[in-house]
Amino acid sequence: MPGAVLEVRDVSVRFGGVVAVRNTSLELREKEVVGLIGPNGAGKSSLLGALGGQLPVAGGQVWLGGHDITTAPPHRRARLGLARTFQLASTFDGLTVYENLLVSAAAARGSRLRDSLAGGRERRARLAAAADMTWSRLHEFGMAGAANRYGSELSGGQRRLVEIMRCLMQSPRVVLLDEPMVGVAPRLVQRIQEECARIRDSGVSIIIVEHALEVVQAVCDRVVVMASGAVVAQATYAEAMSSGAVREAYFA
Amino acid sequence: MSFYISTLLVYFFVDVLLAWALNLQFGWGGIPNFALIMFQAVGAYAAAVVSLGPDTGAGAFQRYVFGSDLPFPVPLLVATAAGGILALVVGMFALRRIRRDYQAAILLIVSLIAIQVVSNLVGLLNGSNGLTGVPKPLSGVLAGLTYDGYQWVYAAWAGLIALGVYLLVARLGGSAWGRALRAVRDNEDAAATIGLNPMGLRMQAFVIGGMIAGLSGGLLVDFLSAWSPAAWGYAETFAVFTAIILGGVGNNWGVVLGTLLVQVIFLQVPTFAPQVGYTGLIDALEWVLIGGLWLLCLAIRPRGLIPERRRTVAPPPGVAATLTPGPAAAAPSQGVSQ
Amino acid sequence: MLIIQAIGFGVITAALIAIGAMGFTVQFGLTNVLNISYAGAMTVGAFATFIAEELHLALVLGVLLAPLAAAAVTLVLGRTLFAFYARRGAGLFEMVMVTLAVNLILQFGIDAASHEQIYRFAFPQGASLHVGPFTFTVTQLALVAVAAGVFASLEFLLRRTRLGKALRAMAVEPRLARTCGIPTAKIVNVVWLLSGALAGLAGLAYVINALTIDASVGTNFLPLVLAAAILGKAGSTRGAVLAALALGVVTEEVAAVGGAAYSTVAGFGILAIVLLTRPAALAGQATGKVEVTV
Repeated sequence: MPGAVLEVRDVSVRFGGVVAVRNTSLELREKEVVGLIGPNGAGKSSLLGALGGQLPVAGGQVWLGGHDITTAPPHRRARLGLARTFQLASTFDGLTVYENLLVSAAAARGSRLRDSLAGGRERRARLAAAADMTWSRLHEFGMAGAANRYGSELSGGQRRLVEIMRCLMQSPRVVLLDEPMVGVAPRLVQRIQEECARIRDSGVSIIIVEHALEVVQAVCDRVVVMASGAVVAQATYAEAMSSGAVREAYFA
Repeated sequence: MSFYISTLLVYFFVDVLLAWALNLQFGWGGIPNFALIMFQAVGAYAAAVVSLGPDTGAGAFQRYVFGSDLPFPVPLLVATAAGGILALVVGMFALRRIRRDYQAAILLIVSLIAIQVVSNLVGLLNGSNGLTGVPKPLSGVLAGLTYDGYQWVYAAWAGLIALGVYLLVARLGGSAWGRALRAVRDNEDAAATIGLNPMGLRMQAFVIGGMIAGLSGGLLVDFLSAWSPAAWGYAETFAVFTAIILGGVGNNWGVVLGTLLVQVIFLQVPTFAPQVGYTGLIDALEWVLIGGLWLLCLAIRPRGLIPERRRTVAPPPGVAATLTPGPAAAAPSQGVSQ
Repeated sequence: MLIIQAIGFGVITAALIAIGAMGFTVQFGLTNVLNISYAGAMTVGAFATFIAEELHLALVLGVLLAPLAAAAVTLVLGRTLFAFYARRGAGLFEMVMVTLAVNLILQFGIDAASHEQIYRFAFPQGASLHVGPFTFTVTQLALVAVAAGVFASLEFLLRRTRLGKALRAMAVEPRLARTCGIPTAKIVNVVWLLSGALAGLAGLAYVINALTIDASVGTNFLPLVLAAAILGKAGSTRGAVLAALALGVVTEEVAAVGGAAYSTVAGFGILAIVLLTRPAALAGQATGKVEVTV
């Protein structure tokens, strides 16, 4: 489909012996924020897991840009431009905040052993650029002062911010946010909301799984409503909320 | 006395190599390599068989595979390669995504089985009797030296190798690769989402560690001129774990300190105590104490005497100017204080 | 006909492994502690009977001492050291290291006490019986019977008694079990005792079959026991028995065909193959930490 950054074609996901997602299709276009909502057990996180590569796809295909990533491992998807957060904010606890970001920088993805051992000038330049980018992010998010703290020394909200910054450091095309507001103070929720808008405007598309409907309303251009493993509606927030089918799904 | 000290020095350097190998695999890579000593063993055996010359067939004094007469320093290179190759093979099934306790158990089993195989397959590496008569390197060239003098030269050689390996692991530790490895250690799933390949990185660490362990084996067998299964039980691996937990997991200098304290002082000194009980009693009890020491370290100071270094950075001037005065690590971060 | 005979030997070996693996897996399935000191417990059991023999105690008493001594040691370890580290937040891997340290202490403590010698273990083997193409001694058949009996008893315990139900509930949902009034501490004690008793029995069976005893018997036997328990899935006695059968027969067949040196490798080869093809069985999970229940 033209303009579609991420395509989900008829995907089914099995999880824990149950069909968690059933023949689901959706697409994510450029510069949009799509909210994935629905009651508990609807399959939202499982779908996200299938998109991220943490869960195997039992049927259907997933396309990222022009690439079929259906069976690609998570690290390959990342290199193709996919970034994600987890329900439990996932930082690298043994690394400092600075290192958490630096290790994610697309440019400094110098996990190449040879490069690290015999780095040349070009490599040093790339690392310097990554370092610069890291500091600007830290400054942007007001966390420059925490640069030398270990991931394990941060509060819950700070970890979530680090996670989001880490996604950005990858220069992604698509970001998957799995309930980013859980356990985050209200002031920070506002902050993250603004961040989502900025990310979208800079050309990155977002799928956000979120229970807090006020957040969804504020942030999302479109919502996809899931219930019992299937998509019940795809529309704007207002349309979805006034739909009978959606209300039934939530309150049945 | 001089002889004793030069011997201790060689053991020290060899053990430090092992400690750095384990630090790389376990401290930074998160791989609980309970089979570490097996990699030292393969290096020792490899160096031995390529310098012992061909065995003289069945009924010979000792039987083993390969058998050539390669000159110094080739056996050391062979030892290093052997460690790496074994690591590659073992890594292929032991480094997949697996719960760490299972992984540790499997690696332990591998090393236990390896001992049984080598002990039973006499034609392979001369079984439980092991190999002896491994020629000391450059013994012809250095024939003019006294026995003591040779020891010191060897100690210097071991020290040189240790220096080289130190430069390698120090460089790896501070590099982007090292950072990526530690990220995989800390959170494999999150590391994958930022484009790092956990299996690949772990394998690299495992193989490099295996090579260093193999090198240490080659170095040791050239010094001892003999090698047998008695030298590489799981207790030996455990001693290295104890050294690094006491000294500081994740810190290259910490593990040096730990090696000094455990492998040299703790394990060597009692051999000079007056004979108590029957011969060998002290040796057996030493292992009991090592177990106890490890338990103590875990209870009291699990991060060790010199813990993993926090790699701090200073913000560039533009950013630094915006921060409130005060140490970066202690002050609440600017703007986000939830 | 060695290949046919090997099946018979395989069943005997399987019986030994099964006793050990069942004891291990019941404990592991409940507490999630991968207890390497199980090897030490096996050695303790073997030595208990050996010492009883040296002291010319009645045979029955000697045999009973194996599970008793090992059970006592395991219970003490479980309630003191293991509980200590578990309470301080030791994860699954740290606990493995703790048990490994303990095994080191047990093995070399016994080594020191036994003067690092290998002793002959003379146990009445009984008359030879012919069962079809196989030849067994009475003792060997008794071992198989014991293994079968242990399996039957465990099945009964786990499936028909309240204790067993509580145990299975705890294994699946420890926190919920606690809040439901299940006496979790008592059940953990029972499991330590049970696991220790079977370890002692397995150790004794091993040396009866091997005819020699020294401080490393437990550690020598551990790879096969562990492999069977892991292959059979943690907590599943049926799985342990099936895996033990597979390992027992395969190792004896390989020994018959290729020589004894390869037999343990063969057993481990099975484990390696399973690991390569069914890694999900042992994979960790990103969320949902498995807890140590001790």
